[in-house]
Parts: sequence; C-alpha cells; structure tokens
Amino acid sequence: MHSRTALAAIAFAVILVPAGIVAPAQASHGGDDHGGDHGGVRTSGHCGSTRWELKAKHDDGRIELEGEIDSNRSAQKWHWTLKHNGSTSAKGTKRTGGSSGSFEVERRMTDLSGKDHFAFRATHGRTVCRGTISS
Amino acid sequence: MASLLLFGITWWATGIFSERAARSEALADARGTTLLLAHSVAEPAMPKGLVTGDAGSIDRFDREVRDRLLVGDVRRIKIWRADGTIVYSDETQLIGKKFTLDAEEARVLHSGDTESDLSNLTRRENRFEHEEDGLLEVYTRIVSPEKTPLLFEAYYSVDAVQQRSAEVLTPFRRVTVGALLALLVLGAPLLGVLTIRLTRASRARERLMQRAVESSEAERRRIARDLHDGVVQELAGTAFALSGTAREASLPPEVRAELAGSSQALRRSLRQLRSLLVEIHPPGLNAAGLGAALEDLTAPATSAGITTSVTVDGVEGAPDHVVTLLWRVAQEAIRNAVRHAQASALTVEVSGDDRQVSLLVADDGVGFDPADPASKGSYGLRGLQSLVEDGGGRVRVDSAPGGGTTVRMAVQMTGERP
Repeated sequence: MHSRTALAAIAFAVILVPAGIVAPAQASHGGDDHGGDHGGVRTSGHCGSTRWELKAKHDDGRIELEGEIDSNRSAQKWHWTLKHNGSTSAKGTKRTGGSSGSFEVERRMTDLSGKDHFAFRATHGRTVCRGTISS
Repeated sequence: MASLLLFGITWWATGIFSERAARSEALADARGTTLLLAHSVAEPAMPKGLVTGDAGSIDRFDREVRDRLLVGDVRRIKIWRADGTIVYSDETQLIGKKFTLDAEEARVLHSGDTESDLSNLTRRENRFEHEEDGLLEVYTRIVSPEKTPLLFEAYYSVDAVQQRSAEVLTPFRRVTVGALLALLVLGAPLLGVLTIRLTRASRARERLMQRAVESSEAERRRIARDLHDGVVQELAGTAFALSGTAREASLPPEVRAELAGSSQALRRSLRQLRSLLVEIHPPGLNAAGLGAALEDLTAPATSAGITTSVTVDGVEGAPDHVVTLLWRVAQEAIRNAVRHAQASALTVEVSGDDRQVSLLVADDGVGFDPADPASKGSYGLRGLQSLVEDGGGRVRVDSAPGGGTTVRMAVQMTGERP
C-alpha cells in the first residue's frame, strides 16, 4: 500500500464543509481547481510532465481523500506525505504501475471543527509535487 | 392451592432477585467491555501528539481504532483530558471542545477506578446523542504515551443493556420455572402421601384413645360391680346383724351400746362407699336413669343446705356415651358449686331434641372472674373443657364475681361436635 511503482507525484488538499456545502478548493504548484463533484471536490494540475488529480468526499464526519499520480512511466518509486493542519497524517512510498504509469493513495481524514488545512507532497528524484488546500 | 401460592411467591421473589442479578450482570458486561476497549484497543494504539490535539495523530488514531472501538452495543467513545478537553471522539465535531468534568469523572481520572452512570443527555457534550431510551456511560482511566492520564468513556444504549439483561434473565427464569414445576410435580404426591399417613395416624390415635376410654369405663364398671356385689353386701349384712345383736336384751347395756355404735359407724361407711360407687360408675346410667343419677349427684348439695332443682327432658333415645358425658360434666359442675360457690340455690337442667342435648348447671354463689387464669385451674374448668371436647361437645362457662356461675354444655345426639 505504501510502496508501489510511481511515475508522478501529486499534492492535493481538500476540505469539505458539513451538510454538503463545499468550500472552494485551492491548488498550488500549478494545480487546476475543478470544483465540487457529487458532494466532494476535485482538483488537478501538473508538476513537470507529471499530472496529478485529487478527489475528496465528505463521508460520515470524515473526509475521504484520494490522490492520483500519472507520470506515464512505470516502476517509478515515489515518496509521499499527507499532512493535516501541518502534522503528518500519513506517509509512504509507491511505485507507478500499469500502462498509464500511475498510482493512487487514499486515506480517511478526520473532519475537525474550524478550518482544516491539508498538504500533499510527493517526490521522485528531483521531481517534487506539492499541493495544499484549506477550508 | 397452597403449592400454587408457594409457586407464585417463589416465582415472584426469584424474578426480582434474578432481574437484579441480570441487570448487574449486564452492567458488569458493559464495564468489562469498556476496560477491554480502553486498555487493549485505545491505549496501545494511541500515538504521541493526540493528547495535545495534533491533527495528524488524530487521523492516525481514528483510522486505526474507530471501527474496533464501535463494536457491539457501544454507541459513542470520548477520550478526555483532565481539563475537560475532548482529545478524541468518533464524533469529530467534539474533538478539541472543552466541557466540565463532573466530580465522579474527575475522581475516576485521579483514582483509576471504573464507574458507570446514566448519561445526562441535556449536557452540551451529549448534544449529538438521540437514543430514546437513554445512554449508559462507563468510564475508566487510560494513559497517553506522554504519561498524561486521560478519561476513556464508552457510551452504551440503555435499551441494548436491557436486552442483554433479558438475555441473561430469560434462561435463568426458564431454569427457575423448570425447577419449581419439578418440585411441584414431585412434591405434590409426596405431600399427598404424608397427608394420608398423618390422617391414618390421627385416626389410629383416636381409636386408641377411644379404646382406652372404653377400657377405663369397663374397669370402673367392674370395680363398682365387684364392690357392690361383694364388700357392700357383706358390710350391709354385718351392719344388719350388729343392729339385731345390739337389741338383744340379754346383753349388758354397755355392750349393746357398743354394738349399736359400731352398727351406725358401719352404716355411715356403707353410705360413703355407695356414694363412691356412684361416682365411679352410677349403676344403670342411661337415658331413662339420667334424672335419678343427677338427683344422686345433687344429694351432697342438698345435705349442705343448698336448694337444688333437677329437670330432665327430651333425652329419650340418647346414646349411653352421650348420657355418660352429660352426667360427668354435671358431676364436675355440681362438685365445683358445692366446693367453691357458697351458693344457696343450684339448678340442673337437661333438655334435648332430635339433634342435640343441652345441659345447664347454674348456681347463685360468689362466682369468679373467668379472665383470671388462676380461677380456671382452681375451679377445674380446664378439666371440664377437656372432658367435653374429648366427648365431642362444647362447653361455655359464664360467671362474674358475686353473680353466680352458669355452665352450659351441648352435644349432638350422635356424640359429634355440634
């Protein structure tokens, strides 16, 4: 789960407001904000030649966070970290795989009261992808 | 009927105690579950930083233990800091919020005990709870990796606890009912057998007593007859002979006087002996002779200057044992009157019909207080009562100091209790 082949790195951050009201998402490092989708948000962008996409969905007081890296190259090893309000919530390594040369990470985050800030960082060699989002 | 009543009482009592035991068992289950969750699930999985509200630590802890904590009847989990801040709850909106710990929670946090209580759902920290039947909260102490004491609180649905209680109670009740029914089924015949044996023993004892009474009566009859036919006849003959000799003119006057005195003494002894014989067993005591026998009984009273009256009516056909009972009770009552009453008049009345015979012995003497226990003994009332009850009758004694005494007795013609 934490060590798979990866071709690219993605950083996403998503905040979902309870009762389905979704706050505007912010993407950094060249991310493109695509807005909400079925009660969640989705954002994407590029870091070099790598494309990343981040989807987030509110679920029973939690935030289901799902990120995808698409570098078009298989067997790349990526180190990734997910931070919540500046504190490491999850981290690991993955390798890109399949014909598209991609990988996904998915974690359940607690929906704390007040504004939450998430940061995602993924590195492969000198390639660093990072994204943050807050609500 | 008594068995069924006993069954009902036992069922009710065991129900109460069983229900208490079941509730206690269900509560013990909840406490046991809480201790297990606290010390085997939450405490070992707690990351550093949770106690200070670190978001990443909260995420990791939530992902690792949430599904393992919300098991069975557990409805909510809260982990508190001593200052009242909730550092973790499966309801994430409570995380980081601060409330006031009550005294009992603060005590458990200090002592490390485990306690339980019904939740106060009006308190702000319980605003997300919507259980209709209420919640039971069980709390104990855990320690964070930073060695900070925390209060681990698990909430259970009261309805679920009651169901658990019912699960414990139902089999126990089945066992209780089974045991009671078995006892009833086995005990009833046993009781029946014992009752039959007791009844038989009682009847045998009654027959034995009856035989003893009959034997005693027969023995009295034999003694009276032997004395009457032997000693009395000889004494009468001797007295007659002495009287005749005492009239012989040829004898010196002092000898004749001596013989006349001896003859009179012999006649007095003969009268006393005849009275004794009458008391032992009046000759020819039956319904037809009852009046004469009662007259004989009142003779000492008449001799003592008491005006006596004897009336007998309606006793024709009364069995001998009933007549004997009437005579014995009258004997005892007359004897009491002569000895204690200082009466001037004594009345004896016997009246009967087809069903029962009644006896009344009344005097106008000094009377006594029936409530005084000493009077019963001295007047022989206990013996009188015992005599009548043994004979199947009923007796009543009315008296008052200065108001005379009246003894009433009734007995059925068959001798059974009226």
